[in-house]
Amino acid sequence: MNMSRARKLSVAVTALLALASGFAGVSAVAASQPSSHVQPRTAVAGETYVIGTDTTFAPFEYREDGELTGIDMDLIRDIAANQGFTVEIKSLGFDAALQALQSNQVDGVIAGMSITDERKLVFDFSDPYFDSGVQMAVAEDNTEITGYADLAGETVVAKRGSEGETFANSIKDEYGFTVKALADSATMYDDVKAGNSVAVFDDYPVLAYGINQNNGLKSVTEKEQGSSYGFAVNKGQNPELLAAFNTGLAELKSNGDYQSILDTYLEQPAPVAASGFFGLLSDSLPALMKGLGLTLLATGLSIVVALVLGVLFGFFKVSESRVLRGLASIYVSIFRGTPLLVQAFFFYFGLPQLTGQSIDVLTAGVLTLSLNAGAYMTEIVRGGIQSVDPGQTEAGRSLGLGYVTTMRRVVLPQAVKIMTPSFINQFVMTLKDTSLLAVIGFAELTYQGQQIYAANFRTGETLLIVAALYFIVINLLTMLSNKLDKRFNK
Amino acid sequence: MSKNSAGSTSLVGSKVSVRGLRKSFGSNEVLKGLDVEISEGEVVCVIGPSGSGKSTFLRCLNKLDELSAGTVIVDGFNLGDKTVDLNEVRQHIGMVFQHFNLFPHMTVLQNIMLAPVELKKESKADARATALKLLDRVGLADKADARPGQLSGGQKQRVAIARSLAVNPDIMLFDEATSALDPEMVGEVLQVIRDLAAEGMTMVVVTHEMGFAREVADRVIFMADGVIVEEGTPAELFGNPQQERTQDFLSKVL
Repeated sequence: MNMSRARKLSVAVTALLALASGFAGVSAVAASQPSSHVQPRTAVAGETYVIGTDTTFAPFEYREDGELTGIDMDLIRDIAANQGFTVEIKSLGFDAALQALQSNQVDGVIAGMSITDERKLVFDFSDPYFDSGVQMAVAEDNTEITGYADLAGETVVAKRGSEGETFANSIKDEYGFTVKALADSATMYDDVKAGNSVAVFDDYPVLAYGINQNNGLKSVTEKEQGSSYGFAVNKGQNPELLAAFNTGLAELKSNGDYQSILDTYLEQPAPVAASGFFGLLSDSLPALMKGLGLTLLATGLSIVVALVLGVLFGFFKVSESRVLRGLASIYVSIFRGTPLLVQAFFFYFGLPQLTGQSIDVLTAGVLTLSLNAGAYMTEIVRGGIQSVDPGQTEAGRSLGLGYVTTMRRVVLPQAVKIMTPSFINQFVMTLKDTSLLAVIGFAELTYQGQQIYAANFRTGETLLIVAALYFIVINLLTMLSNKLDKRFNK
Repeated sequence: MSKNSAGSTSLVGSKVSVRGLRKSFGSNEVLKGLDVEISEGEVVCVIGPSGSGKSTFLRCLNKLDELSAGTVIVDGFNLGDKTVDLNEVRQHIGMVFQHFNLFPHMTVLQNIMLAPVELKKESKADARATALKLLDRVGLADKADARPGQLSGGQKQRVAIARSLAVNPDIMLFDEATSALDPEMVGEVLQVIRDLAAEGMTMVVVTHEMGFAREVADRVIFMADGVIVEEGTPAELFGNPQQERTQDFLSKVL
């Protein structure tokens, strides 16, 4: 008995090691894009830099027909062309871009970011490339709020961590209002239109652009004298990139390119022709289908890894070894006992800071989802195996069949049948959970939807389309799974 | 792992030798020191009230339950010896359960063929031929392709017996094989066990069927509270029980 137990243990440990080395392999691949460019400034020529930016901060960055465009985008691309380096743009969201920069996931950030003393502590900034300022806007039909004095007792909204939030907070006591922070402009404008907040404090170019795009708001105050926007690199990192940016900016300013970029976006923003629902559908479908593809890819990869983890740890849970049972219990309680969102943040932002190895967003996403779903799968496998009558095992063992043979031929065929509906359920859950990866900038379906309504401000219709796509895909897959279940598990 | 390497102290011709067998579940001692010798070809029936330890005793004979103390030597294998391959020992010991424990996801034929094929004792074709022969023997040749769910309780138990005979055991253990059956099906199962006894199979039968024990057993063991209270031929034990505990039990069940 002891011997066979020891053998079981060693098999399990080997499997675990193989799994661990598999992960190491994945992270090694992910880490093969280091971001240390400690060369003299002329060496930017021919280099490729990863630049993080906001998801949507029109007119500085937003998507048009699925392509990132805007003042920041034109600027960084023209500077790169001028200085002979290439850029790979990562649209992460403002907070996420800053975290990515701190964890060296990206080499630089250009995201309409104000140069502040606080930020100077952790980042190195370029020369200012744009002078901004905060402005207040209210709903188009609001006639009561015409100045800060009308805000007493009301709630206003500002973008988390932005200049607008700082300004609003600096005057809230004087005028007696409350400040609520949200993550992106489109959400803030919707919040105001829905009446949850009476006014929004945002950077004036952004507000002006949105109003010109018929976002349903109007500005009611003059722009406050504000700070300037700068391009940032991590403190002490990539000095040659910073220098090249400054040189390039100066050259664009002197050759007139800089002014023509600003004019394109700020002088005469053409009012958008409001197309109908089907216009929106056909415009947004290509980007949404691309997102859906990534959703399915992440789901597929995650569910396969989760299945392996679930079977492995599920067997640990029913094993005779106290060590293996303990190991499985710890795994399950960690991943069931913490929110998926926190896990996603941890794997994408936290882990690189701890290990010094960067990790791409798909790997981080799949790692999060598969470890999370694997914990639930473990319980499904354990429950399935334990729900098979112990008499079945006894019958198998009394015939002289070994543990493995009894499991394989007697217990598992019955357990799988019991587990299948739960597996299908977990599969659907994981597919839906991929939407949470939008927060780390994984360009799946929900993310694509956010991108679209952030640019066109048609939140309701866009979300309806996104939800319908999820609904159709999930129900088709559920029907297919149930069909397969019926066929194979008669 | 030769049969005699276990340092057997059993009597010549002894098929099962139990010495000082104790078994506890937690703090609850279910078997309190049993000594039993069973010789080749002997049919031993074990009777006694519920909770007396009959089934646990039987399950210790093929180590479905671990032994807490004492020695059990079956067919020359010392079950307490850690180096003994239990899977091999168990192929010498067939076991039939109260609740049949047929594999519901397999046909009757697959149930019987599983062990011989997995243990590589027989080719698939040979195992199939053997299985059909065994089914014929228990009177169920026409049920080869049925699923357990389509069978009556008596038919299930006969299939279970055929299944345990498929690995060609020397000893058969029956754990209340007729207790879960409707009364009209008890007879068909007892007939199969009776036939096996007539063929000279060594058997330990835990049963509540006193009439059957009286008819088929060479020896009857009466157990109560984890000990063997009394044993003897059916005539002795049923005709002239010596212990008050035995008399008391028999007066209730006969």
